[in-house]
Amino acid sequence: MEDDKLMYVHPGPVRVWHWVNAVGFIILIITGIQIRFAEMVDWFALEEAIQLHNYVGFVVIAAYGLWVSYYFGTMKIKLYFPNPRTFVPNAIKQLKYYGAGIFRGEPNPHQMTPDNKFNALQKNAYVGIMFVFLPAQMITGLFLWRVKRFENYIDLIGGIKIVSSIHVLLFFFFVAFLFVHIYLATLGHTPWAHFKAMFTGYEEHHGHGASEESAF
Amino acid sequence: MKSKICLAVGVFIALISSFLDPAVAFAIDNDECMECHSDDTLARNESEGMKEDLFLDYNKFKYSVHNVNGITCVDCHADIEELNWDNEVPHPTSLAMVNCDGCHEEEGEAYLNSVHKKAGGKGITIPCYACHGYHFVTHLEADSVFERENKFCLKCHNPDNFHEWLPQKDTHFAFVECAVCHAPESPRYISLRFFDLVSKQFLKAKDLLAALDADYDTFMDKLDQDKDGVISLPELEDMIFLLRQKDIRGTFHGELVMELVPTVHHINRGGANRECEQCHNPQSPFFEEVYITLNKDDGTGQRQKVERRVLESYYVNHFYAIGGTRVRYLDKIGLVLIAGGISVVIGHLLVRVATIPARRKRKEKKDEFSI
Repeated sequence: MEDDKLMYVHPGPVRVWHWVNAVGFIILIITGIQIRFAEMVDWFALEEAIQLHNYVGFVVIAAYGLWVSYYFGTMKIKLYFPNPRTFVPNAIKQLKYYGAGIFRGEPNPHQMTPDNKFNALQKNAYVGIMFVFLPAQMITGLFLWRVKRFENYIDLIGGIKIVSSIHVLLFFFFVAFLFVHIYLATLGHTPWAHFKAMFTGYEEHHGHGASEESAF
Repeated sequence: MKSKICLAVGVFIALISSFLDPAVAFAIDNDECMECHSDDTLARNESEGMKEDLFLDYNKFKYSVHNVNGITCVDCHADIEELNWDNEVPHPTSLAMVNCDGCHEEEGEAYLNSVHKKAGGKGITIPCYACHGYHFVTHLEADSVFERENKFCLKCHNPDNFHEWLPQKDTHFAFVECAVCHAPESPRYISLRFFDLVSKQFLKAKDLLAALDADYDTFMDKLDQDKDGVISLPELEDMIFLLRQKDIRGTFHGELVMELVPTVHHINRGGANRECEQCHNPQSPFFEEVYITLNKDDGTGQRQKVERRVLESYYVNHFYAIGGTRVRYLDKIGLVLIAGGISVVIGHLLVRVATIPARRKRKEKKDEFSI
């Protein structure tokens, strides 16, 4: 254990954003299920579910604002962008690791450092999620919140049903993502290591190359 | 021969008796009324300097539903039995209130216990014409939610001052007629109208019919291929395809409007539907009746029944009741996505668990070498 050391990889604003976003997502998913499937579930009155969904939606948007401000303010946003020259080979290495190496006990080809905390696959996934999927979910949610106010934009997209369909498909995607995300978070050197790090900010670095999957 | 004589005698008696019937003998023609009431300066002085306008614009009146159906002035103003042209005003100056219930019995009955009628006890009188207007009552079938509300509820009520509890109240006001919630026991239906995306306006029924090479009578023959009286989703698709061939591109807009039945007058305080789930669920009875409305110039509308499933399609993109008219196959896609995510997790975890002995062995071997 001599080569174990602590690395500060999750700064305060990122941790605040992460957990606000996580709790927000859970509430949005639960209320979203109630709103879409009112005939099947009876957790809340629809009226309450919609109100709660709207309030929490704005909290998640505000948290995203914090994330954007922090990452662009400090220019750490480059953490998210893959290097075009090394991206493909690194992604293949990472895929091989998840598909085979991890079962043979091989070390994770990606070593987390504060300046390079995401592996190639994470970079790819998170760029898509943070710059396309999440903004699309927030914008469509905003339009659905006040259909009449945003009707010109809604018409531009093709109508309220198109907007709603985008919102719903992304909702299903995020639910699926959540399962995978939480599972990958258990792949640290102990199952709780990454969860703990997302509270404390410090990841333990292990010389043997423990996997580091889930950190944002 | 005997029967022919009987018929001739019958006709003769009928003719004589018609001349003897005072109502027929002294029938007052609308033209006689208009001799004075077409004067746009005709007015009567009321108390406190107020004036009551007695002018009637015949050009508008002639299109009123009553005139079109042959109802004359004195059919409603029934206390005018004769006109005495020797007097300055040829009929009594103080006339009784028109009794609409005389003809509209069921409407009158439904109105009897309504909040508007009960307001009478508080010193306010809300007669039929307060909402329907006096002389220019027209057909409402073809009217949109916006037109119906402007003609009725919005004359007195500002819905924005209430409904604070209602999420997206302005959206509800735009797509749902007030009485849908406020007269919950009355039937309602979804009215679909074709919106032309090129001209950015609703396509007039006659233009829609012309594009389909049909008229009001042959519209269903043209579209309803299985002759079940309902336009199914595939039949609607064919219609859209036919329109596209004529370079008409558009989408259907939907609105939730009331069936114009007498009970629509039975609106009561506290009787409004406030249960969102009534509407926002796919089994809602609110979406059972769906029609394409083909408006006519006289304000009537011809309706053609459409399969409910059409509301869940992408041909009706501008009407969506969350949950209620949702696109069902998106739920199936969602199920596949979520099941896929969970399967990947469970599959990966199982392989990891199954390969624990192999990894342990490998580690032991490695440790042996390192020693």
